[in-house]
Amino acid sequence: MIRLDNVTKIYKGETRAVDGVTLNIEKGEFVFLVGESGSGKSTMLRLLTAEEPVTGGQVHVAGKDLSRLSSWRVPYLRRNIGSVFQDFKLLPQKTVYENVAFALEVIGRPRNIITTQVPAILELVGLSNKQKSFPDELSGGEQQRVSIARAFVNRPLILLADEPTGNLDPNTAQEIMRLLDRINRTGTTVIMATHDQTIVDQMRRRVVALRAGQVVRDEQQGVYA
Amino acid sequence: MAGFLGRAGYFARETWLNVRRNLTLTVAAILTVAVGVMLVGLGLMARYASTNALGRWQGGVQFEIFMEPDIAGGQTDALGEELRNHPDIERIQYVTQDQAFALLEEMLVDEPELLAEISVESLPPSYRVVPRLAEGEIIESLAAQFRQRPGVYSVETGRQQVDAIREWFNSFRWIVLLMSIVLAAASAMLIFNMIRVAMFARRREIEVMKLVGATNSFIRLPFILEGMLHGLAGGLVGAAAAGALRNHVEELFGRSEILAFFRSFTVTSGQFTTATVATVLMGVIVGALGSAFAAGRFLDV
Repeated sequence: MIRLDNVTKIYKGETRAVDGVTLNIEKGEFVFLVGESGSGKSTMLRLLTAEEPVTGGQVHVAGKDLSRLSSWRVPYLRRNIGSVFQDFKLLPQKTVYENVAFALEVIGRPRNIITTQVPAILELVGLSNKQKSFPDELSGGEQQRVSIARAFVNRPLILLADEPTGNLDPNTAQEIMRLLDRINRTGTTVIMATHDQTIVDQMRRRVVALRAGQVVRDEQQGVYA
Repeated sequence: MAGFLGRAGYFARETWLNVRRNLTLTVAAILTVAVGVMLVGLGLMARYASTNALGRWQGGVQFEIFMEPDIAGGQTDALGEELRNHPDIERIQYVTQDQAFALLEEMLVDEPELLAEISVESLPPSYRVVPRLAEGEIIESLAAQFRQRPGVYSVETGRQQVDAIREWFNSFRWIVLLMSIVLAAASAMLIFNMIRVAMFARRREIEVMKLVGATNSFIRLPFILEGMLHGLAGGLVGAAAAGALRNHVEELFGRSEILAFFRSFTVTSGQFTTATVATVLMGVIVGALGSAFAAGRFLDV
């Protein structure tokens, strides 16, 4: 599903954010990317969505060689990838329903698809009763669930989560992890960058540890440290 | 195609939202476009009007050969024969001394004492000559050919006047063109900035749109439509102003005796329509250019 071959990313000619990483992630895997701040976790996620071009090496996502992907095809790549962030990135002037519907609307999905898919996904994340609420009326955990609903409503092959529990208390974080696990069980490949030791240790999934842009550990059913 | 209506609704909604959000900037941009394209419209109409007027004179442009009042009848006929057979001459008209006096009577109707000084015999009979081609050069060379003939008193052409008017209209057109280019550039820049502000105000939405895989053209379209809408509004206001100004000027020419000369400077309704459509179109183009540049520049993948 995802293959990195000796990938390097250098910012502004000096900072080596990712340094010679080779990594293979199969369809349906759940992978934790762990490491200190600045170890290259977020940069790696941005390389996968073609937000940043690689400096060296090759990135394959969903069968596409990203260095050969022309810029007009990038949006179509992103339709196969859902993204979740620490700060949710919800639109404050839109309701829960509208925030999720927006993701389908802007890729040109027909209205009848939107009116059936959005309530279904909101049901999945447990927010059926909050469809008309605005983001600032929700708790952090609820907001993150909206953001996950938005990322998953188009049934992407891959879900990328950058510190999705970073702003949440431990109980709420557990909820989010249960949701991501459920999504993973539908066959979606999930890659999650995190600092959260408890969660990583508890889930016992594949752990890829980064330090200064290099892979220093790659374990199936691993722990945080 | 199923989603087309839904998308059209999306574009209409987003475009309208942007327009409402920047009302003062919107009005400023629309007015600048309006003034700019109004000048374009006026310039076009002035061009049509001068072409029409000059064409009319040129079609009927003639020169007049005045003969000595005491010219012998045989000489007059010989000259007439020569003019009639000249390859460059379309037709001629002989004006007798009596006819010349009648014309003078008409012109001096308010000054009988002046008329009393003039006798029919003192007036020169003349040939009015219409050349085959209404070009200044040809008229001048024809006039030169006949100026030296025995019995010819003088040859008068209207070329200088026509040239002077043509020149005046040409410079007027250039000034208008230059001003409209400056204003069109200014309005394009205003729209450019407006779209930039609009895009900045909606950067979070744009970020999310990119994130979920909206294409660039999809993200840009509402902004470009917004710019075109401003251009269209400015174009309509400008065209209306140009039309009103044209009516006012034509009415002025019609009413004032001093400006009676300009009455032949008219625009046909077909030309008026062309100028109006061009004016509105110009507005739309200016809006599209300004916004397309902004949307292209501030939206990289």
